[in-house]
Amino acid sequence: MFPSAVLGAAVLAAEEVSFVLVGSAALWLRSEIVGVADADLVIEPGERNIRRLREALAGIAVGPVPSAGSLSGGSLVPVVTAYGKVDCLLERGRRDWDPLRRSADFLLVADVPVLVASSTDAWNLRRRYKERENG
Amino acid sequence: MGERTGLGVVEIALLEALETSQFLRCDKALASVEERIGLAPGYAYEVLVDLARPWTMPVNLVQGQGNFGSRRNDPPANFRYTEARVTRAGRAALAAERGEMAPLPIAIINGNTYREGLRPPFRPHAVIDAVREAIKRPGVTDAELTGMVGPPYFMTGCTVAGDLTALAAGRRTQLSLQAQVSISDDRRTVVIGNIPPNISTDDTASIIASRARAPRWASDHPGLRRITHLPVADLRDETSDRSSSFGRIVCIPTPGTPPEQLRDMLLDVTGVRTTMPVALTRPLPALIRHWVRTNASEDLLAGLAALEHAIPSRQS
Repeated sequence: MFPSAVLGAAVLAAEEVSFVLVGSAALWLRSEIVGVADADLVIEPGERNIRRLREALAGIAVGPVPSAGSLSGGSLVPVVTAYGKVDCLLERGRRDWDPLRRSADFLLVADVPVLVASSTDAWNLRRRYKERENG
Repeated sequence: MGERTGLGVVEIALLEALETSQFLRCDKALASVEERIGLAPGYAYEVLVDLARPWTMPVNLVQGQGNFGSRRNDPPANFRYTEARVTRAGRAALAAERGEMAPLPIAIINGNTYREGLRPPFRPHAVIDAVREAIKRPGVTDAELTGMVGPPYFMTGCTVAGDLTALAAGRRTQLSLQAQVSISDDRRTVVIGNIPPNISTDDTASIIASRARAPRWASDHPGLRRITHLPVADLRDETSDRSSSFGRIVCIPTPGTPPEQLRDMLLDVTGVRTTMPVALTRPLPALIRHWVRTNASEDLLAGLAALEHAIPSRQS
């Protein structure tokens, strides 16, 4: 059985949003023993993909859908969805999309291929985030 | 924070402002709070509303009259149109703060998760029993105290699970809160009740509705659809009573769907099940012992008896 956040990522992948899944959901799919609280998505930059993301979020968001402006220019946009919280890491996408994409590969969630960061990248990003969180 | 009850400055100022046997218009009470501690009415009203809502904490310190909002997303009425007064427990808390009565462990009971803090609430009588035991029998073991207090307790009656050992040991952990999902006697509907306090029933209903719709990728990914789609033909949010603490959503399964199947699927849906980060400032037994030790010179047993009389009777 998949954690809700993983299903949320799969739904966005089925909606043809381009992203690399990082964070605890990625580690879970890489068979690491972690609790999955939310879905962290590094979003591929580009106007068309951002438009798709917004449309897909509109179908599953609980409450307001982020504006196109916040998704185009924002850094981190959290959205509460029917599958739990989805964190859209937009700034990270603008900076690191190519290297993250290169070392990621597709894993199946039910019958949907989801692009998942390598374990090394997922752990590194998680470590950097936790360090920043702890000051 | 009030050392004798654990209540915050704003909470104490609100109780003092509302200390009257009659209901008082909230704008008047808030003006008095602003005068005392300089906090603008809009901020203080948020705290007042939490103190009065029956689903936020086990020991309500304020009783509200008028529209204080509901478990749905509707907000309370403006403070010009609501009234409030101090409850018996609130009166006891004020007496304790003023030194007219022994200190009361209200903060241990109510916690602060209702204001997005990390300390969860516990059953009032269980905490009172544990504190009493720690006073009467200093040799009581940590395990006995933890067992007496039991798991966190939310007023909506949702089920609580998680690493309760970590919580009792003072470590940060995540609770899983789950609504009750049952099949109606006529087997025509699946009823969701006792919805966790950290989600509105409107949001739960909207999540279920969104997962009951057919997504445009349904034919391309039947496997994902099978595990995400909820076979719900219709649903009703029956959380209409403003005073309802529990929330109630009624789902009608699609034709041919056994209600057991829908019930089992709903149990894993966000909104029916939520998580909440929690942590105590120190291990639970140490928290109780520290509280007893700090206030050892006072007649704590009399204070506990007064608090016991001021709160609703024991629940099963």
